[in-house]
Amino acid sequence: MSDLIQLGPLQLAVATLLVIAAGVVSLALRLGVERRLAVAAVRTVVQLGLIGVILERVFALREPLLVLGILLLMTMFAAREAAQRSSRGYRGIVVDAWLAMAASCFVVGGVVTQAVVGVEPWYDPQYVIPLLGMILGNSLTGIALGLDRFLEHLAVRHHEVELRIAFGASRREALAAPLRDAVRTGMVPIINAMSAAGIVSLPGMMTGQILAGAPPLQAVAYQIVVMFMIAAAVAGGAMLVVLLAGRRFMGADATLRLDRLRSS
Amino acid sequence: MPALVEAGPFSARNGEGRQLFDGVRVELGEGQLAVLDGPSGSGKSTLLRQLVGLETADGVERRLAGETFEPSSLPGWRARVTLVAQDAPMLAGTVGDNLRFAFAQRAAAGRTVDESRLAELMSATGLAGIPESRDAATLSGGERHRLALVRGLLWDPAVLVADEPMSGLDTAAAEACFALLLDFAHRPDHGALCVLHDATQKRAADVRLHLGGTAGGGSP
Repeated sequence: MSDLIQLGPLQLAVATLLVIAAGVVSLALRLGVERRLAVAAVRTVVQLGLIGVILERVFALREPLLVLGILLLMTMFAAREAAQRSSRGYRGIVVDAWLAMAASCFVVGGVVTQAVVGVEPWYDPQYVIPLLGMILGNSLTGIALGLDRFLEHLAVRHHEVELRIAFGASRREALAAPLRDAVRTGMVPIINAMSAAGIVSLPGMMTGQILAGAPPLQAVAYQIVVMFMIAAAVAGGAMLVVLLAGRRFMGADATLRLDRLRSS
Repeated sequence: MPALVEAGPFSARNGEGRQLFDGVRVELGEGQLAVLDGPSGSGKSTLLRQLVGLETADGVERRLAGETFEPSSLPGWRARVTLVAQDAPMLAGTVGDNLRFAFAQRAAAGRTVDESRLAELMSATGLAGIPESRDAATLSGGERHRLALVRGLLWDPAVLVADEPMSGLDTAAAEACFALLLDFAHRPDHGALCVLHDATQKRAADVRLHLGGTAGGGSP
């Protein structure tokens, strides 16, 4: 966009003064975080610099297979992260998280990029990668929360689950309460974010678009699409991951296998 | 008397790997109340949980009134050979939720709550004053145990399997509950298997089963 103010090395150098100021505060108050702050600042520059270089290349190449590969890689990192955030685990948790994440994000991402935004060509990395990145980042939280809550329900309230089983519950009936509990918990952050949007905070993506010169109403339209797609991805992803996890703990005979639960 | 339940062989080890019991078969005649006893730690609860199918047990055959239940039909087995678990677990929710939830499950196959039987059971166990709207979490330990027994009897399975159903009850309440259990078990096509500790109640049972003591392992 024409009215975008370009940032060069000089501007970044000036901005560095700000993080140095934060370091001075740490030294003056003897907080002892100046070393960690310095490392974090360097990591910010290196990591973002790398991703910037990669994105420039990907945008320039416009190669559909490359875009798909990057998307797949993103879902794998997100799945690992989601599994690690859960305080309990089981064999196959990363696989389940990945399947749920990939399925829900590709379906929702597909609907948004192809049907709502109408990206041309379908893999245009400038749209597809940031949009999917946002779905992943946010549904990761939802999936991790849902998974964590589901495993906690099994660990803490297994007497209730087994009570239903003792009276002949099928697997679906036995897992209905933990599933509802988990998906509800997973959806709390996005519902809160949707309720507070524009009042408590300006969502990051909208802010970025406005900074980049987009008309505010256009930025708002994009933000609404993003919020809704995150809600769909979280609901779908949390439900899927819990269904997959449920199968690890209960076969068709509806016997609860708590021995497969690990606390990590 | 014809056998109502035949199941086994059951075997189990405790957490340290010591054999609790091995090759145990459970047989229960129609119209009988059987009592299972044994020292604490002998695996009574584990045996009951394996019998009803809450705990995995490989290579076990389960037969009820001549009908064989495969592992895949365990939900149907559990609905007819139903456990009243130790410590009387309650669902989060009201007393009514806890009494009625099973009838909303598929295994109920359209059966509905027999309201007059429910009223009769509640008054026989001294729970008539507790409204169904009460939060189950507010019940005392004794009330919970009685409610769990009422829930099991109301469900009316072929066989009620109860793990210390009268623990924590005073003598009068325990006697009332035991009388209900006896009545339940003594009907045709029914039976009950209970872990009990009271000597008088044990004597009143039709069959006494003993677990532990002789199980292989490493006792000196």
